Amino acid sequence: MEKARPLWANPLQFVFACISYAVGLGNVWRFPYLCQMYGGGSFLVPYIIMLIVEGMPLLYLELAVGQRMRQGSIGAWRTISPYLSGVGVASVVVSFFLSMYYNVINAWAFWYLFHSFQDPLPWSVCPLNGNHTGYDEECEKASSTQYFWYRKTLNISPSLQENGGVQWEPALCLLLAWLVVYLCILRGTESTGKMEQLANPKAWINAATQIFFSLGLGFGSLIAFASYNEPSSNCQKHAIIVSLINSFTSIFASIVTFSIYGFKATFNYENCLKKVSLLLTNTFDLEDGFLTASNLEQVKGYLASAYPSKYSEVFPHIKNCSLESELDTAVQGTGLAFIVYTEAIKNMEVSQLWSVLYFFMLLMLGIGSMLGNTAAILTPLTDSKIISSHLPKEAISGLVCLVNCAIGMVFTMEAGNYWFDIFNDYAATLSLLLIVLVETIAVCYVYGLRRFESDLKAMTGRAVSWYWKVMWAGVSPLLIVSLFVFYLSDYILTGTLKYQAWDASQGQLVTKDYPAYALAVIGLLVASSTMCIPLVALGTFVLHHLKRGDVASVA
Amino acid sequence: ISHVLLCNVTQRVSFWFVVTDPSKNHTLPAVEVQTAIRMNKNRINGAFFLNDQTLEFLKIPSTLAPPMDPSVPIWIIIFGVIFCIVIVAITLLILSGIRQRRRKNKEPSEVDDAEDKCENMNTIENGIPCDPLDMKGGHMNDAFMTEDERLTPL
Repeated sequence: MEKARPLWANPLQFVFACISYAVGLGNVWRFPYLCQMYGGGSFLVPYIIMLIVEGMPLLYLELAVGQRMRQGSIGAWRTISPYLSGVGVASVVVSFFLSMYYNVINAWAFWYLFHSFQDPLPWSVCPLNGNHTGYDEECEKASSTQYFWYRKTLNISPSLQENGGVQWEPALCLLLAWLVVYLCILRGTESTGKMEQLANPKAWINAATQIFFSLGLGFGSLIAFASYNEPSSNCQKHAIIVSLINSFTSIFASIVTFSIYGFKATFNYENCLKKVSLLLTNTFDLEDGFLTASNLEQVKGYLASAYPSKYSEVFPHIKNCSLESELDTAVQGTGLAFIVYTEAIKNMEVSQLWSVLYFFMLLMLGIGSMLGNTAAILTPLTDSKIISSHLPKEAISGLVCLVNCAIGMVFTMEAGNYWFDIFNDYAATLSLLLIVLVETIAVCYVYGLRRFESDLKAMTGRAVSWYWKVMWAGVSPLLIVSLFVFYLSDYILTGTLKYQAWDASQGQLVTKDYPAYALAVIGLLVASSTMCIPLVALGTFVLHHLKRGDVASVA
Repeated sequence: ISHVLLCNVTQRVSFWFVVTDPSKNHTLPAVEVQTAIRMNKNRINGAFFLNDQTLEFLKIPSTLAPPMDPSVPIWIIIFGVIFCIVIVAITLLILSGIRQRRRKNKEPSEVDDAEDKCENMNTIENGIPCDPLDMKGGHMNDAFMTEDERLTPL
């Protein structure tokens, strides 16, 4: 007798698992950045159009495939066509790369969370220098939050080449992060479900990309989740719900992020004015309280004319305070989450409480997405009879977590953040586009759109509307192809790739070129996942030929 | 009031001062005054109801108070607590999983024994386990039983 496939306890659990997977850190730190770069509210137009035209159809497709084939990504694509199981393998490889580096973010969130229980918050004050007469030099040049991030958390080296050793503090946090992930996936995936610039073509491309990656298409996680569904569940409804909730979360997160930006900008602007007033008061022995925000410019002009020599001495130290320039600092990624937000939090009342809440939220988002990633890796492994007959489920999960944790230690080295950026930018981007493109073409043209449609109708009892069919067969593949072509040409035209390195002596980021071996790693990352598709197809073809050759020779 | 000499008056509240020794009638050197001020900064601040941010002596950089440094960093304590909780939870889950699997392994072995018995008696049909057919005595045909009971007893 065949063992029954474990099922979600109820459809709500499945929906929560998908939402928890799709709503991740990208909603918090990528979407608000894109909104700011591409005209604020008007970015919503290309975003929503891409959501309807690309996001929802592809999400529905992946969920339907998983629910119909009732297997993880490798098994599902093998059922569609044996030559296409390479797509599943490529998905698993990309998920593997992602889980390697993504959990480091959770490790950093743990680090900040544990440090939030102090008064004052450690990133709100600079440490003192050697003889206690002033603050540490690097901290003075940068800011206390940047210093805490780059020096205390990462202990970053000046460039990619200088590796340094593994830092034990982030390594411990990474270990804890992997233990927490292992704890959640131990009992199986089913237990994880408890939650312009319009004319600018770049805005449209970035909207398409954001929808694509924000929903987590192509990793095999959605196929894995859906494979544990009852065949009769309404995956069309689920696809719409998940994509809408994901987008609303992004928009909500942007509202919060923009108010944080405003708070931080105002605070820093007022601080800057105070510093300039203090400097001028001290230099020219002015009356205390004489200089205010309103008369600063006038007084500066007067001083420049009355005491030209003294003024020219002090002029290089006077910063030009501008609210606009503070607001214009658009940041994304780890810089937003760990520098800008912490800077805003440290100035709030009861900052320890806000800090704990904020990093707890980041952890929830990050771990939710990690569970989806590990599901994408584990489901094909536990589905395969060879592996699951030798090892129990707990051991397979433990092995996967252990291997990922060991490799993840690379990101806790001094140069680790630079390798993190490499993985973050290149491990998933191009490969995913190709994977989803092949998925769509496989379902529509290899398996057959009519056959898939009748399967869905038999499975769920509902007909598939013409809208989905048009999107699957025509619009979405065309969109993906154009995205793919754009990114390829962008990479080729830009020439050598560059990265941002932290310069401790200047207290800011500088641009540097990647060394040759880093470029090789990037190429390897992209190639190892994309090459799976043709290689496995070729291998299956050769195996078939050999089998047919044997049969023919025997006959 | 004497011995107060005003000079170099500026708009902000600031002044130069010299310390004289009345017995020897000369001004004390600056270095001595500076060390004295450095040692007693707190008392001077208190006398004026000011602090290091609001009262500054030029050329005497104030030493900043080092932040409180507990012997064991607080974050390690919290880390240790959460680490232990997670390890305990993982161990519990693994142990309960092993216990469940041992229970499942016992059940199929019992079913296997019964099936072996059935095979010897050649009474397996359509994969139905023989347990319900393996009666204690001979074969009872329920139809005859009810017939006898319908007859009125004498």
